[in-house]
Amino acid sequence: MRTQTLSVLLGAALALPAAAQDFPERPINLVAPFNAGGGTDLLLRGLAPHFAEAIGGDVFVSNMAGGSGTVAASALQGQRPDGYQLGYFSVTVSTIQPQIKNVPYGVDSWTPICSVAASPSMLFVNADSPFQTMDDVVEAVNAAPGEYVYGSSGPGAMTHLTTVAAFAGLGILDKMKHLPFQGSGPAIKELTAGNIQFFGDTEVLMQRGDFRPLVVFNSERLENYPDVPTATEVGIEAPLNELYLWGGLFAPAGLDEDLADILEEACEVAVNSEGFAEFAESSGTVIRYRGREEFDAFFRDQYEANQVLIDAAGL
Amino acid sequence: MIESLPAALAILFGLEGILVLVLGTVLGIVLGAMPGIGSTVAVAIVLPFTLTMGQAPAILLLLAVYAGSVYGGSIAAILINTPGTPQSAATCLDGYPMAQRGEAGLALGWATVASVAGGLVSAVVLIFLAPQLAAFALEFGPIETFALILLGMTCIVSVSTGSVVKGLLAGTIGIFLSTVGGDPILGEMRFTFGQWQLFAGFNLLAVVIGVFALSEVLIRAAGPITRVSELIDFRGVRLPTRAMWRGRLGNLGKSVAIGNVIGVLPGTGAATAAFISYAEGRRSSPNRDAFGTGEPDGIVSSEAANNAVTGGALVPTMALGIPGDAITAVMLATLTLHGITPGPRLVEDDPVLIAAIFAGFFVINLLLLPLGMLLSRVAAPILRVREAFMMTAIVLLCAVGIYFVRGNTFDLLVMGAAGVFGFVLRRQGFPMAPLVIGMVLGPTLELTLRQGLILTDGSFPAFFTGHPIALVLGIVAVVALAVPMVRAGLARRRGTA
Amino acid sequence: MRAAASERVLVLLALLIVAVALFASTFGQTFSGGGDVAQQPMFFPRIVLGLWAALALAALVQAVLAGEGVAPIASWTRIGVVLLAIVVYANAIAWEGFFVPSVVFALVCLPAFGIRNPLVVAAFAVAVPGALVALFNHGLGMPLPTSRFTYLF
Repeated sequence: MRTQTLSVLLGAALALPAAAQDFPERPINLVAPFNAGGGTDLLLRGLAPHFAEAIGGDVFVSNMAGGSGTVAASALQGQRPDGYQLGYFSVTVSTIQPQIKNVPYGVDSWTPICSVAASPSMLFVNADSPFQTMDDVVEAVNAAPGEYVYGSSGPGAMTHLTTVAAFAGLGILDKMKHLPFQGSGPAIKELTAGNIQFFGDTEVLMQRGDFRPLVVFNSERLENYPDVPTATEVGIEAPLNELYLWGGLFAPAGLDEDLADILEEACEVAVNSEGFAEFAESSGTVIRYRGREEFDAFFRDQYEANQVLIDAAGL
Repeated sequence: MIESLPAALAILFGLEGILVLVLGTVLGIVLGAMPGIGSTVAVAIVLPFTLTMGQAPAILLLLAVYAGSVYGGSIAAILINTPGTPQSAATCLDGYPMAQRGEAGLALGWATVASVAGGLVSAVVLIFLAPQLAAFALEFGPIETFALILLGMTCIVSVSTGSVVKGLLAGTIGIFLSTVGGDPILGEMRFTFGQWQLFAGFNLLAVVIGVFALSEVLIRAAGPITRVSELIDFRGVRLPTRAMWRGRLGNLGKSVAIGNVIGVLPGTGAATAAFISYAEGRRSSPNRDAFGTGEPDGIVSSEAANNAVTGGALVPTMALGIPGDAITAVMLATLTLHGITPGPRLVEDDPVLIAAIFAGFFVINLLLLPLGMLLSRVAAPILRVREAFMMTAIVLLCAVGIYFVRGNTFDLLVMGAAGVFGFVLRRQGFPMAPLVIGMVLGPTLELTLRQGLILTDGSFPAFFTGHPIALVLGIVAVVALAVPMVRAGLARRRGTA
Repeated sequence: MRAAASERVLVLLALLIVAVALFASTFGQTFSGGGDVAQQPMFFPRIVLGLWAALALAALVQAVLAGEGVAPIASWTRIGVVLLAIVVYANAIAWEGFFVPSVVFALVCLPAFGIRNPLVVAAFAVAVPGALVALFNHGLGMPLPTSRFTYLF
């Protein structure tokens, strides 16, 4: 009791907001904008214990699914920025959806805390497909316009943007058909069955089937696939040449600087912890930490750059 | 597969294995039996625990909880007419009338035996035929799926007790409700009127719980007060005797087969299977005329099929790495987390794990029988509390259950509105099952229709000319619609003559 | 009997009006889709709404011709109270958390269903929501919505 009074007095004396001194004095909620058991949810559940340890308080994960993640982001945007509610948003939730839907949030609605993970996306075909290179694809599509079909897990999803980046970058998008599915599962099934010829996703998902990657949207070739060319190498120009499925923690805009600093530091410790590295290793997560300032700049840059993709996709 | 069985059994019958299987099944049954708390919440509760377990126990726990909750859902459906999940909505149709007749224990007995039979057969099929079934699933493209869903839609007619027009109207309203939110092809917003809460559409479970459970509370509030819950004579499960099975085994076999086949096809699910199986039972069972009035075949059709789906859905999950339904999607994600890449190579890379999962599924279904009987005996006194406590507790539990489905309080508003809507419609003699069918099948119907039109460049006849499976399913759908009408016509003529 | 029949006509008429209104609303908006029917967001909903309107009309005609009655309501007060309580309860959780509205709901609902003993009502109203909050918020770490006063319930 006495120490508590003392610390309050001390806080007042140092003219620091009491909130930052005692933060966190109750459990912190990490919001996954998708269902329990999905990729995003599990990543967050993998991070949560390390985050809790780093910040010295309780942390729990809650799920608020729906609308491709926009429902959770819209709800969080309207919350008081007290630091107790953070959302884990991906590139699509934070930069694509707000530009194609009339949601109540935009680029200025957030205080980005840190980025956690980022995986380059790849375009791939079935293993028995005749296509070995992107040149084969361009040739075949030009020879038979309207014949070839690319799939996606839904309009505006990462899978959709990957195919758009590839085919718009090579100027053949208008000569192909787009077949959206609900989720990657059914789309991958149709790729195996041959009803669609192309699909794009991250390395982890591609490994689920007998698929052959044709191009990777990364700045350099991947360690596991040294023979697969980057988008730049096959002639896809910026800004369509790099595409990452990234995600990070966001708080509502207007978060107190001191609280943001505390959260950022905890995030850095958690993401770089040994336990999380182990988790990432086994789950195929590619860790990519960025601090507050760096992440803010990156996020704003992506918001702008993805405008080109959205226009190309006709969304 | 067979040669890995000994190693797999060692995992199952180790201390952790047995503990996980028994506790998971018990937890699933208990949670599923609470009105409003369904499979989704049950899985969400155990998920954090699976993160700290080994691969096989984690998957087995999820499976046990899921299978238990699907079975538990039939308890709530039969005893208080409130299915916790859409897949037991068809069980209400005959289960509740049977319970009202005073045969609650027997109705649960039919449900138990049918569930166990469906689960066990699908486990055996899974163990021996997974690769062949997976290859079959690949034959089902968007157009074939469209034809299957069309066939499923014909059940609306067969579950329309009372008035067919009202049943069709309720079904159409259900389909419409499913179109609210994002357009599946273009992502454009429809009927949201600027409300971002509606971007995700109406949650299926919120509507199902509203129109079944909450409207039931309102209907009881509108009626005279009873001092105890109506079903006082429930004293535990009573299994059907061998004599009762006479003439019903064919229907059981057919229902199990339907559940297995539909489970294998990704993107359909247990509710679809239960309704299609119910409609097929109503068309072909020797006891078809009694459907809807508390006929055991009705319970068997629904329960055998929805439980067989669980096994079926594991086929594409394990053989192709493609989740068959929501729960297998969670399992896949859990596998990934444990460093296992699901996919075609999994069977060769990790045969012991696959064998443990398949054999574990068999054991879980064996456990359902004794655990189900035991738990229902323990739970029986709860049903004897006064209606007031029961009704109040149902509303509270529904609120908890629906909140956790998507973590959104908006869904509670939807649930409340659906409750009032369901109450108003049920007073006017509208059946609610068609509304649920419409909402369950609506999204797939629209998506596959439009996907098919994209693939055929806008030609609807090409759906059937170029796709033999779709043609057969289309013909079956027409027959399924025509037969009851012809039969009704004949009966009318005979009646007047 | 007459009142019951007119209740049915009223409900069906309302369903018909809603269908027509929604159908009309599909023409006011512009979408990005091309000329292909598969690319038109309103292609499918218009079919469904058309069907809805036609079926509602058919049911309306049936109801007018048949004039069958509906179940009488035993107590308008009770159904009114319970209905209002459910609607208010569903709204209140978003603002006041789970616990407080649940207690109030039980305090209203139990007497409406005929429980007269105030002690029993109060005990149930506090114990059941309390147990749920204790279990989910503090036992399982998946909290229900909390009130504006404290994060504990």
